[in-house]
Amino acid sequence: MARDPYGAGRRPDRQGICYRKKPFTERKHCGNPRDASPAYTGEVTNPVPRTVADERRAGHPSWPSYDTGEYYDELLGKDGLPRPSAEPLWRHFEGLGAEGLVERQEAADREIRAVGVTFTVYDGTTGVDRPWPFDIIPRVISSQEWHHVETGLVQRLNALNLFIDDVYHDQRSVTAGVVPADLVTGSPNFRPECVGVDPPGGIWAHICGSDLVRDADGTIYVLEDNLRVPSGMSYLLENRMVTKHVFPEMFRHYSIEPVDPYIGRLANLLASVSPAPGDPTIVVMTPGIHNSAYFEHAFLAQQLGVELVEGNDMVVADDDCVYVQTIDGLQRVDVIYRRIDDLFLDPDEFRPDSALGVAGLMRSWRAGRVGLVNAPGAGVADDKGVYAYVPDIIRFFLGEDPILDNVPTLRCIDPESRRHVLDNLERLVVKPANESGGYGITVGSQASPEELAAAADAINDHPRGWVAQPILKLSTAPTLCDGDIAPRHVDLRPFTLIGPEGAYVTRGGLTRVARREGSLIVNSSQGGGSKDTWVVDASLASPGSFDPTRAPGDPGDEGAP
Amino acid sequence: MTGDPVPHQTADTRPVPDDDIDDDQPKEGTMLLARMAESVYWAGRYLERAESTARIVQVHTDTHVDLPVGEDVGWEPLLTIVGVHTEFDARYPGTAGAPDGVRLATEADVIEFVLHHEDNPTSILASLAKARANLRTARPVVPSEAWEVCNNLWLTSVDHLAEASTRLGRVQWLRRVVAGCQRITGIMLGAMSRDEAMSFLWIGHNLERADLTTRVLDVRSDNLHMQRGDDPYDVVHWMAVLRSLAAYQPFRRAMPARPQGGSTLRFLLQDDRFPRAVSACLSEVRSHLKELPRAEEAIEACSEASLLVASAPVAKLAVGGLEEFLDDVQVALGQLHLRIDHTYFHPSLARWQPESAAS
Repeated sequence: MARDPYGAGRRPDRQGICYRKKPFTERKHCGNPRDASPAYTGEVTNPVPRTVADERRAGHPSWPSYDTGEYYDELLGKDGLPRPSAEPLWRHFEGLGAEGLVERQEAADREIRAVGVTFTVYDGTTGVDRPWPFDIIPRVISSQEWHHVETGLVQRLNALNLFIDDVYHDQRSVTAGVVPADLVTGSPNFRPECVGVDPPGGIWAHICGSDLVRDADGTIYVLEDNLRVPSGMSYLLENRMVTKHVFPEMFRHYSIEPVDPYIGRLANLLASVSPAPGDPTIVVMTPGIHNSAYFEHAFLAQQLGVELVEGNDMVVADDDCVYVQTIDGLQRVDVIYRRIDDLFLDPDEFRPDSALGVAGLMRSWRAGRVGLVNAPGAGVADDKGVYAYVPDIIRFFLGEDPILDNVPTLRCIDPESRRHVLDNLERLVVKPANESGGYGITVGSQASPEELAAAADAINDHPRGWVAQPILKLSTAPTLCDGDIAPRHVDLRPFTLIGPEGAYVTRGGLTRVARREGSLIVNSSQGGGSKDTWVVDASLASPGSFDPTRAPGDPGDEGAP
Repeated sequence: MTGDPVPHQTADTRPVPDDDIDDDQPKEGTMLLARMAESVYWAGRYLERAESTARIVQVHTDTHVDLPVGEDVGWEPLLTIVGVHTEFDARYPGTAGAPDGVRLATEADVIEFVLHHEDNPTSILASLAKARANLRTARPVVPSEAWEVCNNLWLTSVDHLAEASTRLGRVQWLRRVVAGCQRITGIMLGAMSRDEAMSFLWIGHNLERADLTTRVLDVRSDNLHMQRGDDPYDVVHWMAVLRSLAAYQPFRRAMPARPQGGSTLRFLLQDDRFPRAVSACLSEVRSHLKELPRAEEAIEACSEASLLVASAPVAKLAVGGLEEFLDDVQVALGQLHLRIDHTYFHPSLARWQPESAAS
């Protein structure tokens, strides 16, 4: 008779309280594993084409109407076959069929609702919480291409930081004629209060959320550098979490680069700007629960393990230090990751009517008693007027050619450009120089004559406030729309961190997708959706290593990499 | 007893190379924001309120069907327990509080009002919504799973409101609320550090528990039969009181007597081992206050309430004077709340000067 590992005579219902010498014995065979777990999300029972050649013959039947048209598609090449890095994904989706995808989409929607991933839309004066819109079909980028993008983003942010520091000190770039003086000092984001300040390491813009787009020929352009309070990082992390839950099988044999390290890097970055030695006290500062990005503020505070504070929680005392009110009185704060615009930071120096800030905060920062991320005034380089000069800024400060391209930008402040813009409105995108969130944009090809006339008036009234760019043929990605897979335009927002201790770029970014057919507006405040973004090492994803037809638990499954 | 052959000390005791030692020390001092502490405290209160109210409604329904027509107490006691007679009257003029024999407050109206009516600020649904809002603010200091479960519980409760109008559907609805709240509490117990945020959460929970126990007893004291001392359904009523507070089984195990006035009162007021007994709640509050800075005044207020409860002449109260006594207890609980509020959540402005700057 076999020995009872828990000792003879023990009651079986009390095994758990015994000291266990080895793991519980588990039932190993429950018949066909497919029968045993019909709900297992990795199951594909339909026979599927097994090779690319088969698929070519079969004409990939589940996406018969998918037409990439004149656009670059992120998943499929012009021949209608998947790009190498996307092949395992595409093959898997073939097996799932549209029905299987819809099921996964519903599971994802349920999870997002349950977890409470929301963003706030403003409808007139009231904010309404909406579930975060998420499309389950990931966008795939090869790690080789991403490496190039990463290098370019770091180069760009380095140059922008040198530029900002220069703006608030010697203004060599102005003297040398790289940027016009009035563009800098006339910018609504220029802060005279910041002149002469030396933040740690000379870094002003520590966190940058860049907007990248891809044109029809496959070139990636930087469309915007968001240096003030860029948001989206929490959604990027949550998108990955949800994707892991709805496509767990994809993460077994596909080499998808993780996005989680961001939080650790952010924590290190925040600690590195602390004015005090030792373990700094870090807080995330939010305008409050009614802000559209409140979800993200709370999420980041929680992930960082720091307090989420509002202006009312803090005071600046006579010693110029910032204190936060805790249950045990006032505690010194060393670093503030502020998610509130410059103008609301400090009613003593900016908007006196702002109840969101802390009186004396700027004084404390200038005295070097508190670290602010991003530094006040960093937004001077986050301006579509300055944007046009970024390639020159990179050459001037770094002596290098830009790695990533700028979208050609016409500055309406320049009379000749303005004339060209006004003559070609219907072929251009007109943008306000200082707005974010997709507000105030006119896409010439999609605007009514009245809208075009209004845009022309606005440009004539205030040339400094407007820039124009050619209408890019934004790339598309397969997106689930009412049960069908259809191409929709996407952009990409990666996040770059730069601190005294080095730089870090997220692997991939937040892919935003315009859910209406043909629409180019991807902002979630304007009805856009989002996707998880996979940076994939295609060389590790050999076609044979991921086979959706093989059930988990089949022999040989565990030995796979 | 069994002589387990495996040594309990199994940790690897080999020396670790110096550079492998992670010698990070925990952060010193408190960083719990006053605002967060307040949110956590109220999350605790509202979670407990939602759970207990749901249980009370369920038990009342069960008891109601046990009593013969003419002997039942109607549905108004529910309004009394949650203290919304005025609001109900405003919504349904001339029903609640009508003279005996003219019971116009219908089951449907009362249940709707207590469960989710928008005119009732302390309905179960409103309590869930407030618990959710407070947890949302307090997300940085509570386990994310607790927030998720609470958010989901609220969403599901809203989605299934229509079902709660039938007795059958109501059972499901109330069970879901009770189970959801218990799950949230369980998550916090299992995943939250025993830090100050936890203390505030637990103080909120226990103050609310103590308050609800006194409310349930208060309704019993209101019963005319009890005052006359000739209630043929005395046992049924006292059992209902115990069940409303999830106390029936613990009571059976702890007390020798059949459930009736004296022993039930002693159990629900003074038993230090039953978590919903007022004295046990106050002991919990006290032990958590001791973990907090500057708690002297709050601890004193807590002691006063404890003393009052401990000195209750339960046998006498069972036949008279219960209502007045419970009023005193509720005032003492209110004082304790105010003390906590003034010490931690809304200190006077004078406290805005740091020590270094004040000198």
